[in-house]
Amino acid sequence: MIRRERTIHVVLLLSLLVLLHGCAVNKATATVDQTTDLSALKMFHVKKYSKDTRDTNVLIENKLTEMGFHISGTETEVDAIVTYVDKWWWDITMYMLELTITLRDPGSDFPLATGHSLHTSLTRKSPEGMVDEVLTNIFFSDEKRGADSDK
Amino acid sequence: MRSEEQIVINSHLRFLAACAMITLLAGCASPASRQELVVEETSFGTRHPYSVFVIAGGGGETDATGYTNISNEDLEGAIKESIIKSGLFSSVAKTHDADYKLSVNLVSMSKPMFGLSFTIDMEMSWSLVNTKTGAAVMRESIKSSHTTGGGEAFAAVTRIRMAVERAAEKNIRQGLQKIAGLPLN
Repeated sequence: MIRRERTIHVVLLLSLLVLLHGCAVNKATATVDQTTDLSALKMFHVKKYSKDTRDTNVLIENKLTEMGFHISGTETEVDAIVTYVDKWWWDITMYMLELTITLRDPGSDFPLATGHSLHTSLTRKSPEGMVDEVLTNIFFSDEKRGADSDK
Repeated sequence: MRSEEQIVINSHLRFLAACAMITLLAGCASPASRQELVVEETSFGTRHPYSVFVIAGGGGETDATGYTNISNEDLEGAIKESIIKSGLFSSVAKTHDADYKLSVNLVSMSKPMFGLSFTIDMEMSWSLVNTKTGAAVMRESIKSSHTTGGGEAFAAVTRIRMAVERAAEKNIRQGLQKIAGLPLN
């Protein structure tokens, strides 16, 4: 009986190690297409993600405004449409696990630039911090190039 | 005779142990294989008499405890190999000194976590630029999808990897087909 429970405890401990192993992962990437001139983009429309219930679109709009860009409420007469996908996870409290922001050509939907950040529980950032990191990487990261930037 | 409380605790422990075993046996995520991304097409019906430089981005490394991803090197390598196999361009240059520059970025990839069958939706941006004139002759957002059924592999991580590889291969195929239809000069 004691031996069986000890085995169970060992298995539980091992599984805990496996689960915790991935708890401190950080990824931040940004890519800008070779045909994109980011300096020509001044006016944006942020398109709300259909599954977003936490108003991440407002955070993106606020950050873009803070960066000196203009926000339009409609998709017409803008330089780019901003789409995003945010993924939330639970670990004691809910937090934003991943955020991908894409700047798209308003006419063709072509992805002009994309930024992505992933922070697991132990290195979690606030939603504002995630938005800041992704947009800063898209617009200001020296490391990004035509194709990739892994940091 | 054990108390009712002890029986309940043992039952919970057994359940947790079963969960733990499933976690341990679920296996580690493995990256998409470059060879599985290569389009095995003998020809797209076009042979552009120009050289092309290929660069890929937006991919990433695969953590053992993370999700299957495609590395930039493998995506780039698979596109190059597909071009060479199909003869779509006369040559694939190793430096920027080429007639055309093809940039392919992995923009998004869905990451389903649970289920018997896994569907991966993928979007890549494809742009082709004439290096002499600087003109963009192609700017396309290409979307692809693939579902791997529950019977195709035992481990979920394998089914996910297969779905990622097939979706990427379809994307590369569509991208190269679009390029084949371009009147390059």
